[in-house]
Amino acid sequence: MTRINTQFRIGLLSIIAAMMLVTQFVFAQVPIKGKVTDEAGVSLPGVNVVVLNTTNGTVTNVDGEYELSVSDKSATLVFSFIGFTTQKVLIDNRAVVDVTMTPDIKALEEVVVTALGVEHEKRELTYSTQMVKGEEILKAKEPSFLNSLTGKVSGVQITSSSGTPGASARIVVRGATSIYGDNQALMVVDGVPVNSGESGLTTEGYAGSSRSIDIDPATIENVNVLKGAAATALYGSAGARGVVMITTKGGGRDKKPVVTLSSGYSWETGLFPQRQTKYGQGIDGVYYDGEVNKTSSSWGPRMDTLMIGGKHATKYNPYSFFRTGTTANNTISVSGGGANSSYFISYSNFDQKGITSTSGFKRNSFFTKYTTKVSSKLQSIFQLTYTNSDQNRVPEGFNGPMFVLYGQPVSWNPDPYLNPDGSQRLYRYSRNNPQWVQHNSYNDLKVNRFIPIATFNYTPISWLTITERFGGDLSFERNNLFEAPSGNLGTFGRIINQNTTVQQFNNDLIFNATKESNNFTYNMILGFNAFSNYYQTLNETGSGLGVDGLHNISSASSIKATEYHATRRKVGAYVQANIGYKRVLALSLTGRYDGSSVLAKNNTYYPYGSAALSFIFSELLPMSITNTMNFAKVRVSAATVGNENVDPYSINTSYAANNSNNPIGGIAFPFRDQAGFQISKTIGNPTLRNERLNEVEIGIETKFFQSRVGLEASYFHRKSIDGLIPGVGISPSTGFTGTTVNSASIENKGLELLLNANPVKSGKFSWDVTLSYTHIRNKILAIYPGLNQLDRFVVGQPYNIFYGTRYQRNESGSIMIGANGLPLAAATPGVIGNANPKWFAGLTNNLRYGRLTLNIFFDMRMGGDIQNDVDSYGLFYGTAKATENRGQIVIKGTSVTDNQPNTVAVDARTHYQTITAIQESVIQDGTYIKLRSASLGYELKPEWLTKILLKSASITLSGRNLFIYSPHFTGADPEVSSLGTANSAQNIYQFSTPTSRSVMCTLKLTF
Amino acid sequence: MKKIFSILIFLLMLSGSGCKEFLDVNTDPNNPLEVKEALLLSSSELAISRNLMSGNAAWICQNFMQMSALNQPNPQIGTYRLLHTDVDGDWSSVYSDELINLKIVIDKAEKNGNSYYAAIGKILTAFTLGTATDLWGDIPYSQALNGTGNLLPVYDKQEDIYNDIQSLLDDGIADIAKTSVKAPGGDDYFYQGDMAQWQKVAYTLKARYAMHLTKAPGHTAAAQADLALQFLTSGMISNDDDLKMLYPGAADQANGWWANFNPVSTSCMSSYFVDSLVARNDPRLPIIVKPAEDTGLYTGRVIGTDAGVLTTYSSPTDLYGGIGATNDILTYSEALFLKAEATLIKSGFAAAEPIYQDGIVAHMSKLGVAEADINAYLATRGTLTADNALQRIMEEKNVANFLNIEIFTDWRRTGFPALTKVPGALSDIPRRLIYPQIEMIRNPQPQQTALITDRVWWDKE
Repeated sequence: MTRINTQFRIGLLSIIAAMMLVTQFVFAQVPIKGKVTDEAGVSLPGVNVVVLNTTNGTVTNVDGEYELSVSDKSATLVFSFIGFTTQKVLIDNRAVVDVTMTPDIKALEEVVVTALGVEHEKRELTYSTQMVKGEEILKAKEPSFLNSLTGKVSGVQITSSSGTPGASARIVVRGATSIYGDNQALMVVDGVPVNSGESGLTTEGYAGSSRSIDIDPATIENVNVLKGAAATALYGSAGARGVVMITTKGGGRDKKPVVTLSSGYSWETGLFPQRQTKYGQGIDGVYYDGEVNKTSSSWGPRMDTLMIGGKHATKYNPYSFFRTGTTANNTISVSGGGANSSYFISYSNFDQKGITSTSGFKRNSFFTKYTTKVSSKLQSIFQLTYTNSDQNRVPEGFNGPMFVLYGQPVSWNPDPYLNPDGSQRLYRYSRNNPQWVQHNSYNDLKVNRFIPIATFNYTPISWLTITERFGGDLSFERNNLFEAPSGNLGTFGRIINQNTTVQQFNNDLIFNATKESNNFTYNMILGFNAFSNYYQTLNETGSGLGVDGLHNISSASSIKATEYHATRRKVGAYVQANIGYKRVLALSLTGRYDGSSVLAKNNTYYPYGSAALSFIFSELLPMSITNTMNFAKVRVSAATVGNENVDPYSINTSYAANNSNNPIGGIAFPFRDQAGFQISKTIGNPTLRNERLNEVEIGIETKFFQSRVGLEASYFHRKSIDGLIPGVGISPSTGFTGTTVNSASIENKGLELLLNANPVKSGKFSWDVTLSYTHIRNKILAIYPGLNQLDRFVVGQPYNIFYGTRYQRNESGSIMIGANGLPLAAATPGVIGNANPKWFAGLTNNLRYGRLTLNIFFDMRMGGDIQNDVDSYGLFYGTAKATENRGQIVIKGTSVTDNQPNTVAVDARTHYQTITAIQESVIQDGTYIKLRSASLGYELKPEWLTKILLKSASITLSGRNLFIYSPHFTGADPEVSSLGTANSAQNIYQFSTPTSRSVMCTLKLTF
Repeated sequence: MKKIFSILIFLLMLSGSGCKEFLDVNTDPNNPLEVKEALLLSSSELAISRNLMSGNAAWICQNFMQMSALNQPNPQIGTYRLLHTDVDGDWSSVYSDELINLKIVIDKAEKNGNSYYAAIGKILTAFTLGTATDLWGDIPYSQALNGTGNLLPVYDKQEDIYNDIQSLLDDGIADIAKTSVKAPGGDDYFYQGDMAQWQKVAYTLKARYAMHLTKAPGHTAAAQADLALQFLTSGMISNDDDLKMLYPGAADQANGWWANFNPVSTSCMSSYFVDSLVARNDPRLPIIVKPAEDTGLYTGRVIGTDAGVLTTYSSPTDLYGGIGATNDILTYSEALFLKAEATLIKSGFAAAEPIYQDGIVAHMSKLGVAEADINAYLATRGTLTADNALQRIMEEKNVANFLNIEIFTDWRRTGFPALTKVPGALSDIPRRLIYPQIEMIRNPQPQQTALITDRVWWDKE
């Protein structure tokens, strides 16, 4: 906090000063105070207290007490609090006005935002959704709100990629349904779909960034995840993979300005894979000094006996390369409103400095929302999100610094990183020095993004609302990659400038009619949607950099350019009918008719829909039961959703230029003054039609002990049919390596549980527990007639298995050992692991004692294999932890010579190096338990605060990734898919920037 | 209420008529649906040089033949560690970079009356098929290249592929004799449309593929030699006829061998090849081999030993391994050594000797070796005897074909140069490549069980 930059502080102080002036003018004279309690006499903190028809007001403190000044002792005070009936109380010349609030039965019904931004009471919903509140998201202190949802929402799996600041994250709802296509949920902001895919130059080992990171978590009121097809059918095809609905914060009617200032600072330390530190650099126990004799092997002598120049050798920590990362996150927001309008304005500055010295992520987010009642019938909402971010990345992968560092011998002193002649100093050949890379390369992604949304709600008659909503999502990305010439790699240096523009527009016109008769409620929605997405990338690549220090493409000896444009458009008409009977039964029917530009001409339009029923049977139960179980609902739904998960232009087979996107052996045309084209390697499919997702879901929602305990359970069975496989691999002998087909089928079955409990709620102490649990089994039913396998996808197997060389085993499963004592590889490759977890769960504990709050969040994954490539190389080079044990070993298994237990001893090194050729040896069970986040907060005493005009102030200490238990995984963080969010990259642990453990301090002030 | 209803009707009508136009945007603005033959030819020729004749498979063969060595611990490619996935890219390139595009060139050219393009397309198809079948044995061709029309093309017998090669070359020669509406120019990197040169290439290839069958079942060495000698009368007649690719040498236009030997690969020269040049006092040693950076000595790495210091090993000179080096694909020297071998079979070592010497001279003069040095070399190596004739011819052909994939075929056919299994070898010296995993998964065929030590059809014991 001490490092908030000066400019920011000055700006902030002037805003505060201005706010103080305003309040000084408005208030005067008579003090009023009092205490607000509920019917049981328990004090209610956070109750709004406002003088009627003014902006003068306050909120009650943690003891339920309030204090404010009024000019007129005959005025009326308005007490409002969520879940309670708003009360108007005449002051009537009193100095103390105590109030007892009564619960508002109707308001207790939680209202959730469903598809298209339509609000429904949760009790009436016929399908499963789960809401996470904004404050809950903020507690996780993640730069991207997506990561904050990890483990909190049942049925939803979120996977982070590398530890690079701003790196991408993947969100899959109810299991993957597409083989090569997008499996990630649709992201929607206030009813408008926005782009959330991975972006940035990810070629040759750079982590990408998910564009969901452009949403500032501080502007989020709540996130509602629509999981099943019945919930998302109205969203149309894009919602088939689940929808993450973000509702942003707004102001409030008749609310005086509230300024909230939040400032956080955190420190991050890397989580590194285990390694051996007993043995130094060399081969067969012979020491290599790395200067004269170089090798990538750490099969040298024991460090404790190694003498160099007559002295005991020094051990150097290879991880000393990393620094402690820091993050500063400052947010200021103002919200309020008058009689006919309300506003919310927020600005935040996020500045993360990664654990590698040149990596970082900066984000400036600006958000504003303005709601006006234009007339008694028309309401308008204008909002704008503007985000400017700057992500700086270091290379990852086999030619990146992590590869060199993870293999760095402990006997090697990494400093200095240059030789006296200016060349790179390194222990091995053929790689760049990690420090040199930091000084001589960068990959910078700058994004400017605008999300403007205009919404008009017109209510001509009390039972009808017409909503017109127009939203845009405009993002402008500039990528600049620079790599200096490297003697070590034999490269001549390059510069890539790539600009990407995405323009997305969405329009919805919705008619929403509601009628009630004696026992029935009718609600009918009719809507029209138009959607357009235009994507453009311009790339210029300069090779052979001739001018030292000039980071400009004019320094290049050869410049190649490419351009790419794509347009995707969709239209849809949809209808939904909701019929309720006596608040006991609810039936919901939806239908939608979509048209898509990317499908074959005669398959452009396709219909789909859903039917769902809910039954609140607790209404029919006797009091003896409802005294304990006060709410119980069963629901059942069936839905089919069409989808066109395929890129534009997939219907034609075209010719592709052999430009830098499609070079031949690294050579981009024009070559020797000639252009070059070849037939696209992917055959177009002129008959493409939509794929389909069919789902049946049943669920139960119950509440016990006056809603102190809540249990929700859902079982779903979903099956994708006619699945589109863009670029499905076909035999190259056909002349092509892929085509797009409509033939995949994947089944997902799952159970989702959500348990809420409030075991203790007495006076100052309260304890809330939330447990989410997800169990999903999936299976690939079909790929393509005659084709049973596509890379990691095998018919009859779960989605994303690992396939490769395995140990040769006998019938009883014992590993076969050759006459030389080494394990044998099976003649044919096979399935060697399953990346899908058996189940995963999250446990949130919120404890409050007076002004002290404690939040502890654990999450757990059972199973889910990981391919540990770091260990694979570590075993080969002698850096893996296992290679600490050297000398002769007898491998457990059955000898092929006599079918008896193996007795032949082998050299440990030979064994480790042999098994690296057997991929199965580095497949590890990724089970983990993580203390993902914990935070301790304290609300400061209000007596101190009033003196400095603060309404409230809190200080929070929090930590992330504080503890990880992963018994079978030898890397650092089992949650990471190092290679990004692609389907085929999942659960591969590689040489990416390590993720980190962080400690954070946050101060929040409200004026 | 009425008003709302009418607005609704209006909007419905509007959306109905506008939708079709709104959605009609699926025309690819990036990639054309038609291109001329010239644009495909330039791409195919570069693919043959870059991917086939200096790609991964070509490099693997140099390791098997102990020309090049990898400075890595065992097991590795030098000790015959090869995975099915290692050759995925090579196979894919043969079919999806080369053969399919050459097929389209031929089809278009025949339709448009551009017979010169058809001729080049057929000759290069024959060459690509020949190279691929020598690596893998049975390969798909008659049922291949039909896209989704046949997703599981069965593999043709190597014998049939060899017949295809000869008839493709015959057809190509016939096409050269026809008139062509359009003639290739700069898009033909190899000969700039000089069809007389292409004719020589076609005949030289006919001779090469005839000689490949000297020990094939159902063929006799004498008959194959007769054919080769007959074809060679119309083959290459000077070094100027060489089929080769020039590289400008810019950073993004590099010769493939430069990439194969660049520092990241940790490739260097093997001791076997360097030592043999040193032992024979070959004047080409400094022209082909660069002394080790650290020592200034001509030192190759002994394959199978522990990894050493990379800069203490020799690497190819810039003439062969430089970024702007020329990649020889089929040379006049090879034509002469083919003739020498055929003559040896037909007429004995004495008759073969002058042709053998011509082969050495042709290669040495191409490299700019001084005449005195050539003569001195011929004085020690120029004489053939009944015992050494085949060995010497093949040894010299091996040097002349330095970095050419053809040396692997010649070794399998003749057993020369004599090689011994490297230390730490995982098997005997390989006699083929294994099939790629990408095919085993996507197009399972019975031939795919072949081991690295199995022999192809013509490689009869």
